[in-house]
Amino acid sequence: MIKDDFFKTLASPWLWGIVLLGAMLPMVLSSYYTHILTIALVYVALASAWNIVGGMSGQISLAHSLFIGTGAMLSAALLVKLGINMWAGLVIAAATAGLLGAIIAWIDFRFQLGHLSFVLITLAFAEMASIVVEGWDFLGGASGLLLPQDTGNFLDFQFGGGRGAFWVMLGLATIIVLVNVAILNSPLGYYLRTIRDNEKAAQAIGVNVLRQKTTAMVISAVLTSIVGTAYVRYLTFADPYLLASPVITIEIVLFATVGGLGRAYGPALGALLLVPLGEVLRGKLGGAVPGLHYFIYGIVVIVVILATPSGLLPLFERLFWRRSRMLPKI
Amino acid sequence: MLEVEGLVAGYAGTPILRDISLRLDRGETVGLLGANNAGKTTLINSLSGIVTPMAGRIIFDGRDVTRATPMQRVEMGIIQVPEGRLVFPEMSVRENLLLGGFCDRARPLRPRQMEKVLALFPRLKERLSQPAGTLSGGEQQMLAIGRGLMAEARVLMLDEPSLGLSPLFVQYIFGIVDQLHKDGLTMLLVEQNLNLTLRHAQRCYVLERGHIAVEGAAEVVKNDPRTRQAYLGL
Amino acid sequence: MSELWQALAQGVFIGSTYGLLALGMGLVYGVSGVVNFAHGDFISLAMFMCLALFSAFSLDPYVSVLITIPVMTAIGALVYRFLLRPMVGYKFLMVVQLTLGLSLVLQNGILMIFGGQPARTPSIVESKLIILGDVVLRLAHVIACAVAFAMAIGLYVMLRSTDFGRSIRAVHQNAHAAALMGIDVGRVQVMTFALGIGILAVAAALLLPGTPIQPTQGLQYTVITLLVVVLGGMTNFVGIMLGGLVIGISEAMGTVYVSDTLGRLVPYAIFVLIMLFRPQGLTWRAS
Repeated sequence: MIKDDFFKTLASPWLWGIVLLGAMLPMVLSSYYTHILTIALVYVALASAWNIVGGMSGQISLAHSLFIGTGAMLSAALLVKLGINMWAGLVIAAATAGLLGAIIAWIDFRFQLGHLSFVLITLAFAEMASIVVEGWDFLGGASGLLLPQDTGNFLDFQFGGGRGAFWVMLGLATIIVLVNVAILNSPLGYYLRTIRDNEKAAQAIGVNVLRQKTTAMVISAVLTSIVGTAYVRYLTFADPYLLASPVITIEIVLFATVGGLGRAYGPALGALLLVPLGEVLRGKLGGAVPGLHYFIYGIVVIVVILATPSGLLPLFERLFWRRSRMLPKI
Repeated sequence: MLEVEGLVAGYAGTPILRDISLRLDRGETVGLLGANNAGKTTLINSLSGIVTPMAGRIIFDGRDVTRATPMQRVEMGIIQVPEGRLVFPEMSVRENLLLGGFCDRARPLRPRQMEKVLALFPRLKERLSQPAGTLSGGEQQMLAIGRGLMAEARVLMLDEPSLGLSPLFVQYIFGIVDQLHKDGLTMLLVEQNLNLTLRHAQRCYVLERGHIAVEGAAEVVKNDPRTRQAYLGL
Repeated sequence: MSELWQALAQGVFIGSTYGLLALGMGLVYGVSGVVNFAHGDFISLAMFMCLALFSAFSLDPYVSVLITIPVMTAIGALVYRFLLRPMVGYKFLMVVQLTLGLSLVLQNGILMIFGGQPARTPSIVESKLIILGDVVLRLAHVIACAVAFAMAIGLYVMLRSTDFGRSIRAVHQNAHAAALMGIDVGRVQVMTFALGIGILAVAAALLLPGTPIQPTQGLQYTVITLLVVVLGGMTNFVGIMLGGLVIGISEAMGTVYVSDTLGRLVPYAIFVLIMLFRPQGLTWRAS
């Protein structure tokens, strides 16, 4: 099923070297920079999960705030309002997100939505979701939900904040990037790319478009929801304006585009470059010049799209990885 | 009047036309023949400036127009009546004709030219305010030619005017071609229909897979065995 | 009963301005296939320009418009020429992403200059009311409605009976044939985009009196505009104005008759249903 390239990547000393080196960073970095890297890893994970739909099958889904919101707000509400253990909350939220993803994929297929219609409908869903979250007290309403203090109790989905959260995010991000590699090396990835390039032709050669698209959407939604739960645990505060607003999806889409759509490491690269830049700018100048980091994201995106529309990853490969074969070319 | 020398043109770096040279003299009706995929439409689009040539020259009235934009060529009077008519379906016949005379040179002359066109095609006069999309194929062809004439064409290039028309309409359209020829208009007839074109043009070129296989007076082309070969792709 | 009339009137007045916002987007989509996700941020930009002109010279928005129209039009032309035109031939989605990037730049550029606090631009008409029986109308809304319809009619006449208008429609219906008519398709696209952005300067001034503005509002305006354009069938002129009214009225009705949250959901629900079951929009077309 899955081509050898995936297992080669899994066995690659480079990959584990980088991950291990990354895992040691909190030992040497201040808590401030550890925080920034944790946020960057959240976006690496989110952008890579989004990539399964947006990059590989070429459907620009703006509905992903729905999945992040489900993972974050629903699990938080279950914990705060009903006292349900967050591990269970994570599973319930992920299942809900998967179901929502399947519904969206079904609607897309059933009504044969074009690219534009898909963007618009998913945007409408995202807007509706944010209105529901803000208007429904169970999910925290407009004021959000405050989670209990993180005391590091693993059984309560607590990782002690700081380093613990960093390692959780590193693990999640690594897994999701590897899921990307696995999908790209599997029949699913091949089908998705066929669908992206020409859906009618894919159908004509016998690709079950509904099944492939639904699979991709469900995988992406479940992973996104899990990251959402971990993210809200790290933040301790479930802020609907951050976690259930379409703006977060737009950020994700832009990171993925800057890095390289549809490539396994592209979205990760985009998020790793832009998030620390943005967060540092926000930390240093946020008080004096609010919005500067978004402003710069915007400029970077425009410049990248105009200058190298396939993203920065191909550029990086040419610069750094020309000779080595440490990572498969996907 | 219009001269093409050593033209190479195609799409996305792949040449379809190789070393084409042809000439249209003032007042002449010249036929450009060829089977499907021979490169006729690429050639006419190079003349209109839609396709940019990779090599060669196009000279109009002694001026090199090889790099001129489509708009500049329309301004000079090089007018194409495209294959499949391509009328503006949601606009009225009148509006289609007005758009035909859009270029700066033709704009002030539109009322006069409109009268001429409507005299040539009385059918269009009856349908002036009807959306062009509701016309029959033959009527649309009349409109497309009328629209081309509105631009004060100095060279009128008709791409497959007989395509998809009933025999009666084909006859009618070619009657119009004869009449325009009598009025002294220079025309390039791009056609697949061999016998028809040979009857209405003075000289012909036969395209075969991107190059000119046969050229000469209509009679000569008609009797040249290579003409049939080019068509059958032998 | 009076509540119904009140909501209806308010819906019509706001809706007509929405229609005007959407006409610009519909024109641009029809001519160049670009769906501009920064549309709402251009509205923001025009509104904040009015605010700046008020702060600096105490100009009423209705006067500022004389300055913002040419400035917005010029910005529109430059944006199309240097950012969107190079994208011709790219995948549609890349253009969407580019305009999303543009949206971030505009929104946060405004935020950096004006700060994030909600602001108001005073106008002489702000507090004037017109009372018709039970129905109380704000003068600003009446003016907005009248100007929006006048502009819509003006645009319609322009599209129907001027050479520029016909060239816009020609490019929309068949860009290749339009080029053969000697129409400079690229120039028409630039000018249409500039026109679409220029219209926003007017719409911004109409919406301003009594409306608090903040830099982050852009996306909401973009979404409303998209709703209206889709309801109208993307490029159908009458349909778009009608779509504006439908959204305006459903929004007003929703907030009056159903709870606030549900009321805000109504337009989106309508939008999704229309997208799914009538993708050609509300109006019927002779095909």
